[in-house]
Amino acid sequence: MKLSECWHASRKIYKELSFQAIFSFRSGGLLPQKERKSVEQLVRNAEVNTLISKMITTIFMTIFGAAVFGPLVFGASSGLPKELVLAGGISAFLAVVLSLITIMGLQVTTSLVSSKVAELLSPLPLSKGDASKIIFFCLVRIFDIPLVGAMVILLSAYFLAGGSLVGSVVVFAGISVTELFALASTIVLARFFYTRVASGGGRSRWNAFLRLVFMLVWILPSFGTYLLVNFSTEVVQSFASTTQVVSSSMQYLLLVYPFSFGFLASFATFGGFNYVALSFSLISSITYVGLAVFSLKWVLRYVGSMGIGGYVTVARETVKDTLIKPKVPWLGIVRKDLRVASRSPSYASLFLLPPIQAGVLALSFSSFGEVGLASALGILTGISLVTLVLPPTLLSIEGLASVYTRSFPIRRNTVISAKAALSLSTYFLSLTILLTVTALMQRDFSLILVFGVVHMLSIAAAVLLELLLLANRFWKEGFAVGNIYARLSTYILVLVPGFVVALIPIGAAILTYFIVENLTLIVFFGVAVLELSLMILAITCRK
Amino acid sequence: MQELAVSVQGLVVSYGSYTAVSNLSFSTRTGEIYGLLGPNGAGKTSTLKVVVGVLNPRAGKVEVFGTPLSDEVRAKSQIGYVPEEVVLLDSLTPREFFEFIASLRRLDAAIASSRLEKLTSAFELRQYFDTPIAALSMGNKQKVAIIAALLHDPRLLVLDEPLIGLDARSSRILKELMTFHAKKGGAVIFSTHIMEVAEKLCTRVGIINKGNIVGEGTVSDLRKLVQSAEGSLEDIFLKVTEQEAGMREIIQALENEE
Repeated sequence: MKLSECWHASRKIYKELSFQAIFSFRSGGLLPQKERKSVEQLVRNAEVNTLISKMITTIFMTIFGAAVFGPLVFGASSGLPKELVLAGGISAFLAVVLSLITIMGLQVTTSLVSSKVAELLSPLPLSKGDASKIIFFCLVRIFDIPLVGAMVILLSAYFLAGGSLVGSVVVFAGISVTELFALASTIVLARFFYTRVASGGGRSRWNAFLRLVFMLVWILPSFGTYLLVNFSTEVVQSFASTTQVVSSSMQYLLLVYPFSFGFLASFATFGGFNYVALSFSLISSITYVGLAVFSLKWVLRYVGSMGIGGYVTVARETVKDTLIKPKVPWLGIVRKDLRVASRSPSYASLFLLPPIQAGVLALSFSSFGEVGLASALGILTGISLVTLVLPPTLLSIEGLASVYTRSFPIRRNTVISAKAALSLSTYFLSLTILLTVTALMQRDFSLILVFGVVHMLSIAAAVLLELLLLANRFWKEGFAVGNIYARLSTYILVLVPGFVVALIPIGAAILTYFIVENLTLIVFFGVAVLELSLMILAITCRK
Repeated sequence: MQELAVSVQGLVVSYGSYTAVSNLSFSTRTGEIYGLLGPNGAGKTSTLKVVVGVLNPRAGKVEVFGTPLSDEVRAKSQIGYVPEEVVLLDSLTPREFFEFIASLRRLDAAIASSRLEKLTSAFELRQYFDTPIAALSMGNKQKVAIIAALLHDPRLLVLDEPLIGLDARSSRILKELMTFHAKKGGAVIFSTHIMEVAEKLCTRVGIINKGNIVGEGTVSDLRKLVQSAEGSLEDIFLKVTEQEAGMREIIQALENEE
């Protein structure tokens, strides 16, 4: 086959991979029951979703690039030398590109690694070489827009910031190395995820620990990226400040990726560093280019082995007994959800995001003189909004294999109780972390404690409202078609009332504070109790 | 006295504008193995999905041991179901999956574990007990679904193509279990394309074509229906579903191509 033919064939395989990654689990085996039009719509949704994912990644990069290089382009002073700002900016941009591409591609790459692609190609009359080329092109298609986008953004920004021709070669090398590292690390992570987590069951503590580590590995870069994009200016400042302290003992920093490329590009643009620093960054940059070439060879060899069916196999544990420990139905559902989530990056991130967000936000108290009502309510708002994304996602877990699990004798209220308990536990855990970090920082946490505990009533009402709305809508139709990927508009329509319920007591408290300060807590408590009572009444009446 | 196990009256199942099952009625009693036969796309799986509560019909009435399906928890508690397409919770291991099912069905830990020990030994699944379902072969996934269906010792077994993917030993054990289940007072409804199995195993069969029952009864009843004294169930099936006509010519044409 010609390369162009392999490229063309890879489009079909890539479409199938996108569909498998997004819908094979979530559709719950309901596709045969659907009309042709509806299935075609789902296939289109899968394609649009992967495209949106790529576009969002590229937009994040553009925003970050604008925030990082904007001051240099428009000559705004940050108080630091422009050489250091450029070096810091390029280094920060490369780090963000690496993490964003790795995270974005993980889900689809897992399908690629889990041999499904080899299963698709193996019955076809293709040579091993052609099959490998097609798989490699699939990999390229997973990342195409962000890869090209990152390169265009960085090179354009560099030129607009007054870059030189030699410097642009260094920048080009830096971004190419970064993209190759991102490809290789995505495959390594996806392979690890598939063999040890998604398909690595087992009861041992080691396996449970691995699953927890994986959840953290997944969430921390996501959160890191969020922070980087939100606080890009501060990030560049700190990268630049770090670069500023390149004294003789700190010159080792120049050996570290991505600083090597940042320094080298800055030197090629403005000059101004000493020759020892230049030598250090040049030698290390060349080494990283070598490593990137090695990564590319490894990626090619790996996808090549997949083309000939040499894909990964899953380790198996020795079975000691066949004892099981059933729980009451709602607890059985909770346990199942936690197990499913611990093996799925998208679910895992939703569970861990509120507690980690609580920890990070609590750290921001270090810059506050005291934790007043405004900051306490602000932080509670942030945590509650992130927590309220959880209930609809938890219900969509019920869509997994629903063509089978719907034959089980489950009451609607049992499902609602299980999901509500899990969502509230996540909020409670976030609150506990918030209080613990605040206490460790020796800040007054009394307001967070009081308002946080009371706000749990309102969160409970919001969670129940979301669950009730979704259950009423999808109990008969099946939750498989009620997930975010299939019905984004429904998903948003459910989240908004939940957010409103959580925000009403906060709004009421702020309003009361300005009218009768002493009644703030009483009003907050009263509104929260009223909300929860109304929701319990609504659920009881439904019976 | 045999009790009415399943009663299906005037069932209609549609997928959008396409009607898969049209005004279908049948019933089974305890002690019976009822075989649902039919060509691909005839409406067998849709019918069984309605009986187990997975699919909502457009019209019709279904009762399981006198309980209407609208009382879904009570009705579903009495059913063990093996789906045609084995879509399970793939990220769980069989142990975790059985724990989930035993929790939903409120089974006692000791009783469930003891039953599980026997079933996993019978179907040789023990070594895969802590392996994620996603990593199991199709046959082993099928075994997980069968064990899950039998775990709570249901009164009604609904098995949709249960023998697909099973090795000879497991297939034999399942057939024995079905017979035993009917003998001890349970009921079995199962669909299959293997006419020999249906002929040997079923007390009665219902032949479904284009969403309707076109023939029902024991094999000898069906022979009378097609006015043939000796034909096998396969012959009867092909006649009743009008698939026999033109078949010879098609085979001839294919042979002539070579």
